[in-house]
Amino acid sequence: MGSVLSRLYVGNGAFDIVGKRLRWYITSSIILLVCIGSMVFNGFNLGIDFKGGTKISMPSVSASGQSISTGAVEDAFAKAIPDKKPTAVQAVGSGASATIQIKSPALNIQEVAALKAGLTQDTQPQGGQSAISDSAVSASWGGEISGKALWALFWFFVAVTLFLAFYFEWRMAVGALVAVFHDVIITAGVYSLIGFEVTPATVIGLLTILGFSLYDTVVVFDKVKENTRGLLGLTRRTYAEAANLALNQTLMRSINTSLIALLPVIGLLVVGVGILGVGTLQDLALVQLVGMFVGALSSIFIATPVLVDLKMRDPKYIAQARRVAARRAKGSGPQPAEGIESADEDALAADLRKEEAYAAAASVPHRTAKAGDARRRPTGKRQR
Amino acid sequence: MAPPAGQIRPAKYLASFVLIVVALYALVFFTGNGSAKPKLGIDLQGGTLVTLTARQEDGAQPSEEALNRARDLIEVRVNGLGVSGAEVVRDGNNLVITVPGADSEGAKGLGQTARLAFRKVIGQPVPAGAAPNPSQPSSSTAPSSGASTPPATPPSQSAGQAPPSSGAPQGRPAPNLVAQPSSTPPSSGAAPSSSASTPPAPSNVDPKVAKEIQEAKALRQSTDPQVLQQAALLLDCTQPDPLRGNDDLDKPLVTCDEKGEFKYTLAPVNPPKEDTQTKADDYSNYSRLTGEDINNAAANNNPNGTGYVVNLDFKSEGGSKWAKFTSANVQQAVAVVLDGEVMSAPTIQSAIEGGSTEISGKFTLKEAQNLANTLKYGALPLSFDSSEAQTVSPTLGLQSLKAGLIAGGIGLALVFVYCMFYYRLMGILTILSLALSAVIIYGVLVLLGRLIGFTLDLAGIAGFIVAIGITADSFIVFFERLKDEVREGRTFRSAVPRAWVRSRRTILSADAVSFIAAAVLYVIAVGQVKGFAFTLGMSTVLDLVVVFLVTHPLVAMASKSKFLSSPSLSGLGGAAREGAAHRAATTGKTTAVKGA
Repeated sequence: MGSVLSRLYVGNGAFDIVGKRLRWYITSSIILLVCIGSMVFNGFNLGIDFKGGTKISMPSVSASGQSISTGAVEDAFAKAIPDKKPTAVQAVGSGASATIQIKSPALNIQEVAALKAGLTQDTQPQGGQSAISDSAVSASWGGEISGKALWALFWFFVAVTLFLAFYFEWRMAVGALVAVFHDVIITAGVYSLIGFEVTPATVIGLLTILGFSLYDTVVVFDKVKENTRGLLGLTRRTYAEAANLALNQTLMRSINTSLIALLPVIGLLVVGVGILGVGTLQDLALVQLVGMFVGALSSIFIATPVLVDLKMRDPKYIAQARRVAARRAKGSGPQPAEGIESADEDALAADLRKEEAYAAAASVPHRTAKAGDARRRPTGKRQR
Repeated sequence: MAPPAGQIRPAKYLASFVLIVVALYALVFFTGNGSAKPKLGIDLQGGTLVTLTARQEDGAQPSEEALNRARDLIEVRVNGLGVSGAEVVRDGNNLVITVPGADSEGAKGLGQTARLAFRKVIGQPVPAGAAPNPSQPSSSTAPSSGASTPPATPPSQSAGQAPPSSGAPQGRPAPNLVAQPSSTPPSSGAAPSSSASTPPAPSNVDPKVAKEIQEAKALRQSTDPQVLQQAALLLDCTQPDPLRGNDDLDKPLVTCDEKGEFKYTLAPVNPPKEDTQTKADDYSNYSRLTGEDINNAAANNNPNGTGYVVNLDFKSEGGSKWAKFTSANVQQAVAVVLDGEVMSAPTIQSAIEGGSTEISGKFTLKEAQNLANTLKYGALPLSFDSSEAQTVSPTLGLQSLKAGLIAGGIGLALVFVYCMFYYRLMGILTILSLALSAVIIYGVLVLLGRLIGFTLDLAGIAGFIVAIGITADSFIVFFERLKDEVREGRTFRSAVPRAWVRSRRTILSADAVSFIAAAVLYVIAVGQVKGFAFTLGMSTVLDLVVVFLVTHPLVAMASKSKFLSSPSLSGLGGAAREGAAHRAATTGKTTAVKGA
């Protein structure tokens, strides 16, 4: 009964996440420091899109069915363009998609054409010259994409802050933004630490993590909002406890949504790495995998605790917390926080009445009551 | 008794969904070309994609007008390649050229501005179609051989289009250059459409074309004056010029003017290479000037009369070359040659020191501006850098497409297994909803490809795959809510409307955030990012459609069926037991049975 799984499943507030928030703050501060340190001192492993250069990819199987060695490709390169050297020649991918990737400093159109002709002649790849792909990127292109991405990031923050502040309240907007910053920095830090190659696709992926991380946080905050409606008038629990309850109630949902979002990304990664070897799919999948994982954690361990800390600076909530403490001290001791219960019954009832009115307005004929309807259990709840 | 609040008629919603799907696919099949295939990006179907970025030397934002004009000009060049399905799309300061198919590499050179050079006019221009002037190369000693191929990268600045229409020289000292009277009036606007082919990319050129170029060079760029004379006689200005943009700067050239009305015999730009030493100071024939030597050009009011003039300003080195050249060639004509075509051939009135030059002629403002712009920017109103140029082989494209589809399949399968495991019956509903979502997305993709030219690239496919997660998330929010309600002691049936009202709000706000992210990305980002953002945003919106019109009605229907709503099928058993315990507790009974 008390297993972690069943506590997760039931979601009755068994995990004291908000109460132990200092622990999460310290943990995440340390991780953040490591990440920032790595970004500052280690930098990133930037792909050719940021440095400029040419990338050639060709089938690694020759027309006669033999595999082409990277050595043969290097020789052909040296023969075709004697005055330049490839920076890397590697075999990637598997099966029919196995290719040889050549990276080199920027080549001009003539050199690329000469190289392709040379490669075709010397290594005889399957499909001939038209099977060889090339991509040349100027040094400023990656910078341009990233520059735009940073602008996108900025405007995204502005738009989302406005949305959250309007839809929830400014404290929630701040909590959500702190969590998102946390995600972006840690994801970038992981890239810097491990030395994964940063490409424009990585930058794209990083941006979409923001959306996802916020998505998760919004789901939690929605429940927090619901649980704390009318809280000030009651002495049952403090804001922190109500928020913690909301966290627990949405914990399974958070885990589920994160898992489900991660599953397709895992599919992407498997295909990206296993079949194609390199490229957009792999880059996107990797950054999302890291980002979504961090994002799920931060919406639980960072966003809500930050929100609680901000809320508890409000004298009204401090006073309310005191009243709760006073009642508990004088009363029957700490009442076990009741598992599932919402403070927004009235709001829900109003919504439901509205629905009913709509249904009526849409001339939905009322169903004749069936016998089943009378078989109501005595739940003690209001009958409708 | 009134029906439970929030009760809906699922059939109505489902019917409207079916209606949407039918309408969508009716549009797909019965409008346009009726082919149900989305437009695939270059990285999925093979071809060449070139991204050109406009660069201003002072870093200023290029004007909308200039960008649009450049787009139009490059489009004309692309169409000149004769490949079907080629496109030029403006994306902020970038022009994206996409040419599908295997033989598309010619597109890589399209963004280069045409080459501008100054060549001395030898003899008199000959009206096209008339017999050449026999006294032709009198003043010129044709240089000896000196074959050097044109520079690999043409000048970034080059130019020339509208030749000034002009009256006779006005006899005043001010205009340094007077546009030749015989020049045709400038055509305002369009630059020569055929300036497409750019300097040498011999290995990319069709052998047949290469042969034509060789033959034309042998004749019209011959170093033998007799051959040149013959060439001037034979040259037909109504035929497309194989030498367009392929002319050799170090050799003489016989060519036509822009309108095809006159034939010119022109001196080389540079002296022959092996002779550089001895001819170092010989400016009597060699201007040594190309578009790169021009610093600026502007249209101004004619200070000495009515109309407009073009003020041309050379860079310092260009200015000194210009001074030497003009002083050696007073009263001679100098041709402004763009990609081997004479744009204007004004007469040098006096030696011009200091690099500042005035070209006069009876220009209208527009004509003067056109000439100035052409001198300044080349044939394109802007200078472009090739930011990204990639050629994807059709086989690689196909592999990428397959890989993307496999990735999507794996992702869907994983989600499917998880949902079945965790939600059982409702898992099937999830899969059904995802499948219907895919049906809608596909239809919308095809339509968007047709209507707004939306192309699906690899990043876009990745966007869809990531969106699978977001779509499934909406269901999970709903289902988990449902569980909450059941746990509180409600029956599946009465829980559905309550859970829906509550989760609807969460789904809307969460999707709104997701959509904001995609929209911001789409508006601001460039390149692949746009495709990704678009598909992500689109699937977010369609997710709402499916949740509202399919998932909720289906769950509502399931909740009414006794068989389907049994706890073991709905995966709500645990929650139901918990709910029973809850009821027991709240009704004051002591038999608290905890469910697991």
